[in-house]
Amino acid sequence: MRNTYLQFIQLITGILIAVLLGIHMVNMHLDAILGFFGVETFFGVNIAADPTIFSLMKARSQQVVFAGIYIALLIFALYHAFNGLRNIVLELTKSARAERAVTAVIIVVGVIFLAIGVYAPLALLS
Amino acid sequence: MTEQSKHETKFTEIKFKVQRYDPEKDEKPHFQDFTVPYREGITVLDGLLYIKENLDSSLAFRTSCRMGICGSCAMLVNDYPHLACHTQIEEFHTDKLTVKPLPNLPIIKDLVPDLSTFFNNHSSIKPYIIRCDKEEMEQPTAEYAQTPKELDTFLQFTYCIKCGICVAACPTSASDKLFLGPQALAQCYRYCADSRDDGCNERASTVDGQHGIWHCHFAGACSEACPKGLDPALAIQLMKRRLVSKAVGSDKKKQPAAIVKLPATDTKPKVPVPEFTVKGK
Repeated sequence: MRNTYLQFIQLITGILIAVLLGIHMVNMHLDAILGFFGVETFFGVNIAADPTIFSLMKARSQQVVFAGIYIALLIFALYHAFNGLRNIVLELTKSARAERAVTAVIIVVGVIFLAIGVYAPLALLS
Repeated sequence: MTEQSKHETKFTEIKFKVQRYDPEKDEKPHFQDFTVPYREGITVLDGLLYIKENLDSSLAFRTSCRMGICGSCAMLVNDYPHLACHTQIEEFHTDKLTVKPLPNLPIIKDLVPDLSTFFNNHSSIKPYIIRCDKEEMEQPTAEYAQTPKELDTFLQFTYCIKCGICVAACPTSASDKLFLGPQALAQCYRYCADSRDDGCNERASTVDGQHGIWHCHFAGACSEACPKGLDPALAIQLMKRRLVSKAVGSDKKKQPAAIVKLPATDTKPKVPVPEFTVKGK
């Protein structure tokens, strides 16, 4: 049932990406809509200010909630993307050896991307 | 057929462009043109039979029942998979037909594809009722009970004629030669959904493999092309749901259907059995 588990996680991460990406989009790009509905702060951030200003981004990232959202979004997106890529590549491989090699490369590249991506929010938190 | 299409079809002859390939003589497939006289209601198979009987007896193709039941004459007509016996030439609204063997399968000769991989995939999912009670399975003493509602859950998939058209239409089968294919996967669901069956776990290990059910992209081409109107894509999705339910432990544990009790032996028939009129010597 290994592939079923992998695909089930693919499904779950797809849903979680939609939720977390939704939070990111509302925070970064749809602040005018929040203002229209009378919301003044979103996750403790004043929406009246431009969210793309570096100092505000830094302040936001120093909150555990936002750092958690970013890291979780990165993990889910990396899993979803690399597992999807693995599935596509495995369609073209015929031997079990090649399949293992593809999986190993995908895991290594994914971990490197994760380490690079997680570095910034963790550095800002500490 | 509509009144308009009746008027459109005014051909006297049909140009058949048939793919020929003899692995013993040819390096690669090539096309040969034939002209077949048109008559109302002529099918693609009728045209091929005319060619074989009158123009070139070396043309190879499979055919048997001529009524869309045996699934032998599946082939690519004007780049879409059809049953040749079930497809009238009028449907194409053209007097030019290109006939090729089913794609995604090796060619034995001309229009004859090698279906051994196709049938091996079908066999791999154990397309028969599997029960824990081996003794009863091997030497049945009675029938297993099944309600019409239980039958409805898989009935349409029992109509599969194993023609290979779904595999020919499947984009995943085109790119992944080891893919089980929509026919085998749909039949896997057909048996797993059968209330008399208890072998879903055995089949799960096969369809959950690397070139199994999760490589289906749900293009739906199999359902679109199926000449019997089945929906293999639906069966594959339902099978995926079964596998996920099993993996996360949310599937309903159901006992397979019980054996129907035999009627009492002293029951008299409702209609009296007449005496034999022919007496033995």
